[in-house]
Amino acid sequence: MMRAAISILKKDLRMEFRSKESILAMWIFSLLIFVIFNFTFEVSRLVMLEIAPGLLWVAFVFSGMFGLNQSFSLEKENGNLRAMALMPVDGGQIYVGKFLSVTIIMLMFEALIFPIFIIFYDLQLSVGMFMLIPVLLAGTIGFTSLGTILSAVAVHTRNQQILLSLLLWPLVSPIIIWSVTLTGMVLSGEVTDAFYPLLLRVGAFDVIFFTLSYMLFDFILED
Amino acid sequence: MSVPALEIIGVSKDFGRIIALRSVTFSVQSGEFVSILGRNGAGKTTLLNIISGVSRPSEGSVQLFGTDPNDRVNKAKLALISHEMFLYGNLTALENLEYYSRIYNVQDAQERIETVLNNVELTHRRFDLVATYSRGMTQRLTIARALLHGPSLLLLDEPFTGLDQHAIGMLITLLKKQKELGRTILLTTHDLHTAAELSDRYLVISKHKIVKDGLISETNPDEIREAFFSSETEESNP
Amino acid sequence: MRSKIDKTLLIVILLAFLVSIYLIFQWVPQIKASNPAEQIAQRIFYFHVPSAWLGFLAFFVVFGGSVAYLATRDRKYELISVASAEIGVLFITLVLITGPIWAKPVWGIWWTWDVRLTSSLILWLIYVAFLMLRRYLPDGSKRANLSAVVGIIGFIDVPIVYYSIRWWETQHPQAVMASSDGSLAAPMFFTFMFSLATFTLLYVYLIRKRYQLLALEDILNKQFKEMEIL
Repeated sequence: MMRAAISILKKDLRMEFRSKESILAMWIFSLLIFVIFNFTFEVSRLVMLEIAPGLLWVAFVFSGMFGLNQSFSLEKENGNLRAMALMPVDGGQIYVGKFLSVTIIMLMFEALIFPIFIIFYDLQLSVGMFMLIPVLLAGTIGFTSLGTILSAVAVHTRNQQILLSLLLWPLVSPIIIWSVTLTGMVLSGEVTDAFYPLLLRVGAFDVIFFTLSYMLFDFILED
Repeated sequence: MSVPALEIIGVSKDFGRIIALRSVTFSVQSGEFVSILGRNGAGKTTLLNIISGVSRPSEGSVQLFGTDPNDRVNKAKLALISHEMFLYGNLTALENLEYYSRIYNVQDAQERIETVLNNVELTHRRFDLVATYSRGMTQRLTIARALLHGPSLLLLDEPFTGLDQHAIGMLITLLKKQKELGRTILLTTHDLHTAAELSDRYLVISKHKIVKDGLISETNPDEIREAFFSSETEESNP
Repeated sequence: MRSKIDKTLLIVILLAFLVSIYLIFQWVPQIKASNPAEQIAQRIFYFHVPSAWLGFLAFFVVFGGSVAYLATRDRKYELISVASAEIGVLFITLVLITGPIWAKPVWGIWWTWDVRLTSSLILWLIYVAFLMLRRYLPDGSKRANLSAVVGIIGFIDVPIVYYSIRWWETQHPQAVMASSDGSLAAPMFFTFMFSLATFTLLYVYLIRKRYQLLALEDILNKQFKEMEIL
């Protein structure tokens, strides 16, 4: 049943591991954001700790958009979108395959940039940091579940990158709001009672938009 | 009489400002080889899109082997060859074919892959990235990819345009072979000569409608040429 | 027949507007406020809030039209969605303009990141993205499909966006626009409802006109094609 989705996932991962185009570009892009931020905002260490979660997610979202664009550019390139419309496969399966590949690549990028983030901003690592894993996971999935379908939409236009930004940023704002708060709680070590309800909300967002995209993807492929 | 491979009744594609097809009706029996002739913009590509289920008609019905073109079973029997490659440059020829063999659930995949690679004479380059292929080679690989799952219905959209002589010869041979195997083939083209050589039947589309539907054997080449060119001149003399 | 309805509507709307203006600026009693500028500015409430409601209604129509389109592939639903999106942008723009005009005399600041203004801004951005998407695609069933998908996803997200910003507001208290719909004195309530009705009629009129224009463009284009002018 998931065979097609897995085939698409494997194909995407194989291409990415061969060229490392996406992860590398995403990583460097975030690095640049961190560097520039250092020069444009001169803040005390205390304020820095407050801003750090926001900075992290801004970097993630900007880099993430690059990854999304890349994923569908490759499909658009040789008419592969039409090839997908021709396949004896449900649109939903194709969505799942692309969603998984984009999510995995983005999570890998996050794992690689996070140490840099810690080092640059001299943040204390603590055992509580493990709580970050569900936060990053849920937030990233929210971003990619919406991002995958919107990227498939945007790729049909000649300014795919601008349109993806225009479409995705406003729609993904709840994820950003919640994830920044959650990340802030973990980094500062003050995980309050609000943590789990908030995480649940992110999870609900993920489920809603994953399901919606799964149902609507067929219409994207049709001409 | 058995179920026709393709049955189109009163199909129009007419959306907003776009009129692509107007009330097109014809049917194709299994094993027929039909050439579709017409000027650019007459509606040939849209017709193929509708037949393959990629596009929906605004009016009318399309049936492939008696059912909806979007039926999974039908999609598995179908292949489209157009100017689009349907390949991934960053993967080798072999990897591309393996990917498609999984998607189309091809039985004895390794064997099939070897066979099609052989048929297009690309076996020696199967481990190379498609990005390193010349234009002619990618075209041959595209054909191999299309034939991989043994489609019963082959749709070809101007397949000879831009091919080098060698590839043209190869494609003609392959198409003749497919016809021998009883496959149904629809081909849009400008190349009247090849159309006459390969097909049993031809349709001329002009201004989004079918204006002629005849058998090659019963029509002499001049008549075909006339039908085609008069459709052209009609369009340039409003 | 159609133009009769439109003509009647237009007259009704003009009259309603005149009555509204009278109600808002002459009839409704002054609110107690610290300065006269604030008293006048407060009347913007009667334009600001109805605009917001209609902006939201327009978006709901975009959603409904998008669902109807995907279910039937009928061009008219696509056109209704587009017409509503354009008018929605208009109304939300009004919200974003009247907001600061209201805020400055009352709070001394032009903008506040309170939930209503911020959600309106995001709603505006989503609409604009919808329209830009359409701008960058050629006319046809593909564009209709893609914009319908965006129309649906956008609408489902709007309440979530509102909800998340409202939560964010509790963490970062903002200057809140006077809500006023909680306990409105009778004359204020009446004026507000009258204004709302007027704006609603305006929406209906505008969307009818816009839709008619779009449908007419289609018909003309087809005729020209038949005559081979195009």
